[in-house]
Amino acid sequence: MAQENVLEKENEMAQEGFEPRILGFFCHWCCYAAADSAGVSRYQYPPNVRVIRVMCTGRIDTRFILEAFRCGADGVFTGG
Amino acid sequence: MAETCKQFLADCGINPDRLTLEWASAAEAPRFVELITGYVNRIKEKGETGTAEGEADSATIRRRLKAAVKAAEARKPRSALGMLAKKLHKDGEYTKEAIAKGVSSKIVPALRAERIKEEIMLLLKEGPMDIDALCSALSAKKEEVEKPLSQLQKKGVVEEQDGKFKLKGK
Amino acid sequence: MCTMYCPRPVVDTYNERLDITRAPHIDYAQAIPSSYYIDAKACLRVNYETCNLCAQTCTAGAIDFTQQPKELDLSVGAVVLAPGFGRVDEKVLEKFGYGRYPDVLTSFEFERLTCASGPSEGHIVRPSDNKPPKRIAFLQCIGSRDETCGNGYCSSVCCMYAIKEASVAKEHEPDLDISIFFMDVRTMGKGFDDARKRAQEKYGINVIRARVPRVDQVDGKLALTWTTGDGEHHSGLFDMVVLSVGLESPEDADLISRVADIELNHYNFCRTSVDAPLVSSRNGVLVAGAFQGPKDIPESVTQASGAAAIASELLADARNSQTVTVTYPDEDKALEEEEPRIGVFVCHCGVNIAGVVDVKAVRDYAGTLPGVVLYEDTLYSCSQDALKSIAEKIKENRLNRVVISACSPRTHEPLFQETLRSIGLNPALVEMANIRDQCAWVHAQEPEKATEKAKDLVRMAVAKARLLAPLEQPTVDVTPSALVIGGGAAGMSAALSIADQGYKVVLVEKGRSLGGNLKRLTWTLDGQDASRVLKDMVKKVKAHKNIEVLTSAQVESVSGYVGNFTSTISKGSKTQMINHGVIVLATGGREYKPKGYAYGDSTRVVTQLELEEKLSRGKGFLRNAKNVVMIQCVGSRGDDMTHCSRLCCTQAVKNALKLKEAKPEVNVFVFYRDMRTYGFYEDLYREARKKGVKFIRYTPDRKPEVIKLSRGIKVRAHDELIGDDIEIPASLVVLSTGIEPGDNEELSKIIKAPLTSDGFFLEAHAKLRPVEVAVDGVYLCGLAHGPKSLEESVAQAKAAAAKATIPLAKGKVAVAPIVSKVNQDLCIGCGICESLCPFNAITLEKVGKRKKAHTITASCKGCGICASHCPTIAISMGGFTDEAIMAQIHAFSPEGCEEE
Repeated sequence: MAQENVLEKENEMAQEGFEPRILGFFCHWCCYAAADSAGVSRYQYPPNVRVIRVMCTGRIDTRFILEAFRCGADGVFTGG
Repeated sequence: MAETCKQFLADCGINPDRLTLEWASAAEAPRFVELITGYVNRIKEKGETGTAEGEADSATIRRRLKAAVKAAEARKPRSALGMLAKKLHKDGEYTKEAIAKGVSSKIVPALRAERIKEEIMLLLKEGPMDIDALCSALSAKKEEVEKPLSQLQKKGVVEEQDGKFKLKGK
Repeated sequence: MCTMYCPRPVVDTYNERLDITRAPHIDYAQAIPSSYYIDAKACLRVNYETCNLCAQTCTAGAIDFTQQPKELDLSVGAVVLAPGFGRVDEKVLEKFGYGRYPDVLTSFEFERLTCASGPSEGHIVRPSDNKPPKRIAFLQCIGSRDETCGNGYCSSVCCMYAIKEASVAKEHEPDLDISIFFMDVRTMGKGFDDARKRAQEKYGINVIRARVPRVDQVDGKLALTWTTGDGEHHSGLFDMVVLSVGLESPEDADLISRVADIELNHYNFCRTSVDAPLVSSRNGVLVAGAFQGPKDIPESVTQASGAAAIASELLADARNSQTVTVTYPDEDKALEEEEPRIGVFVCHCGVNIAGVVDVKAVRDYAGTLPGVVLYEDTLYSCSQDALKSIAEKIKENRLNRVVISACSPRTHEPLFQETLRSIGLNPALVEMANIRDQCAWVHAQEPEKATEKAKDLVRMAVAKARLLAPLEQPTVDVTPSALVIGGGAAGMSAALSIADQGYKVVLVEKGRSLGGNLKRLTWTLDGQDASRVLKDMVKKVKAHKNIEVLTSAQVESVSGYVGNFTSTISKGSKTQMINHGVIVLATGGREYKPKGYAYGDSTRVVTQLELEEKLSRGKGFLRNAKNVVMIQCVGSRGDDMTHCSRLCCTQAVKNALKLKEAKPEVNVFVFYRDMRTYGFYEDLYREARKKGVKFIRYTPDRKPEVIKLSRGIKVRAHDELIGDDIEIPASLVVLSTGIEPGDNEELSKIIKAPLTSDGFFLEAHAKLRPVEVAVDGVYLCGLAHGPKSLEESVAQAKAAAAKATIPLAKGKVAVAPIVSKVNQDLCIGCGICESLCPFNAITLEKVGKRKKAHTITASCKGCGICASHCPTIAISMGGFTDEAIMAQIHAFSPEGCEEE
């Protein structure tokens, strides 16, 4: 029991310091523009997302998402 | 697309919530910030890919995704995806249920079949395996594995030896 | 070289005399023309015929001391005066210790101190001891709103620039303690109140409403004393005092006036009128910018475009008669086909990027990436000289792919594409990594993580750059006509200008007649009869052969793109389709209908516009009136609308004066938060005070209340000076209700033009593209953009017309080469792409015996739905190929994860 608790604690601690690697696919007209405008307004958000600009979310192929996870993404954010 | 990916990710042993599709117009910077912050925090809770509840281990995930990408290139599942999109577009039906149903009945089975075929190849590259070991590594039923296996045998890519399957010439 | 070898030091006037340069120099890196010049007053060769070192060392042989001044005779059809503003006399500043105490600076000097390329490289230091100050005070209205120096007007820009400078300083030095002393906080520009709020809440900048009369020095510190609105006296010591100096008319205004034969106003600015704000008293002589009255950058840029429109109207007949065509060198196809030779340029963007991201580390990291043969950092990549140097380096190193690691491709990619074109490379061979808008600016508190992210983004961009391929640049013809939506003052002005420039206009108004809010105005702010202005405008519009007016009409749908829009207009039950090349949004705004304040419960509570209507019908309604109470910011700057409506203060003052004129003995009280009678309207405010109008400040937590009595009404409010509540029995309460946006949501969806959080249309860039919308070919003016005066609406409408006629005049627009391309060998003719394309830009055609898909390039927007749904992966997208995106995904992984 005690052993498990310690493990759980350790796990939690690891999670706290965990910085996920997230890939973003942003639509040029919408989400990418919103992200630019967030910059202009100096809003702050976590620095975990790397962005690939596409002209529209319709461009996103199933293969892209699968490949992103294969390349070690902990999450994929598609923004239209 | 998103629904297909989500269902297929689950099939590959990845928590489908790791993929998200959100909308923020050019004018909605505050909304964008809210969405991205919330999402990053949710992923932080989940931890690395392969560690969340119900997920396969990371080595399995990598192998499976390698097969999955190949599967997503194959004409059969792509046609299924295209035809479904065409049908939904024509009917003007975009309810979540209609999309989910179409995806689970038409596209994901096609993707899964291709994925299993590709993954058999990847597994056998590592060394000979018997049918039970294959089934457990693939998280698939016997009949799902037997069919592609016999196809591969017919093609002459795979051969059977002492109850184990292996790549020909290996 | 010339600057380096010159023995003659001169004071660097660009850096506000805080630095030293040499007689031959360039003012600043982005100066245009970007060539060095010699300060003739300081030059030894010019004055004493000695030295000549610079001419000898200049390797280009560009220095020629035999040059003489020349007189040129130019015949032109119009003249635009844009001499800018002049400086407030230093005598005015001396009152505040300037010149006597070294740590009293002007805001111009402080601006240079905060600038990365300034004399202290962005570090804020005290001139007296070169040490960083701890407490800084900004004093507002220096040389403005001050009759003792002859400048009775408000300079309009100083409140906002002081807040900006203070915010920049706090960003750089978070521990600084900054106080700004205002008379009123005049942040009435679009989005300015938000910036002020941020400065107060996020940066903790102290806003003190008090005028500091003088500055003294005590033990090396600067001592200030001031009295706040509650009558309390305060004093404090500061390490630095910044004087927010105003904008004066140009020093040579009199000379300009004589030479150009134009009239000046009583403050020596160019005289114009509300209905023609860009036209001087002399026909064909136009004015733009601060010479017309103190104004900020967005407004100056707007006016400049507006003046260009008027010049274009005058020159319509001569259009295209003296054109010069830009020619580009042929593309070096052989170089483009060679193995990728990538150059990476990492931009500092002053402190914008370099203040957070370790630019040099990113640059060096770029050098380790495969295919990169050149990696450099630049201070401002987009400056003229940097572009030139990038072009030279591309040539020198025979680069065939370029990665610019800087700001957003949405705003700056065209600039770098042009640079490539100018030296014979296909513009599609440049890729940008957005390490400013989506990195440095949004991760300001996490420099290390931001640097890591910047490296990743560069790695991904380089991966994509390796696979970039040259693309053809298609062009399409433009339908030479405009659709103007909204028939108010802005819409009519824009329509008239476009029509006068020789293009057809369809003007759509949803109401039954033209005029918009101008129909409800009685007097313009400069006292003209508003109905006459309206009548003139309507008459001109209706009589114009190039304008078709559709009233009671609405835009139902818009399809197409710049140059080739098709819109459906409904008028009653009928609809019609029109083709046009551009769109001007002039949908206006409307008077906010107040909630509370007994509005609607009592006939004695009216809005400012309703008061004007009453006044225009005669002064009978004032017969028994004793007290009239005006309440400012009803709806504005509060819960219902967060924005400042900009006009209401001046409108209130104007109407208060009308009331005093109609009945001098009536008491007029104005409850306000900040009186924002900017520019020359300050004269009206002063006059109102002289005539006895009483102005009482209130704070948002203690708003005045209107109380309905059995007979009549009274207003209860807190008076800061007395320190107690006061009650005023009111014959009339006038609410300054502000301006709310019209029904913009629907149109915003139809046109895909974004709105601000306040519901007004969002311009593409506040300063650089103030009348353009993010959607190409769509322009913006009037109240649809934000609250503004008639004068400002008219100027903005002219500016929108100027921008809108650019594609019309060019006759052709370039289509971005991001379109889809079908590999017909792979296509199986399934038709999925044809059915899914949202723009009907892909069709099946017969090729031999089979059907094959084919892209209609002009209609394709490059969305890529066809590509992602093609069963045989037969469709590729220009600039966004599967291979390029896959390469980016692989580069997303720090270890790389290409298929083995």
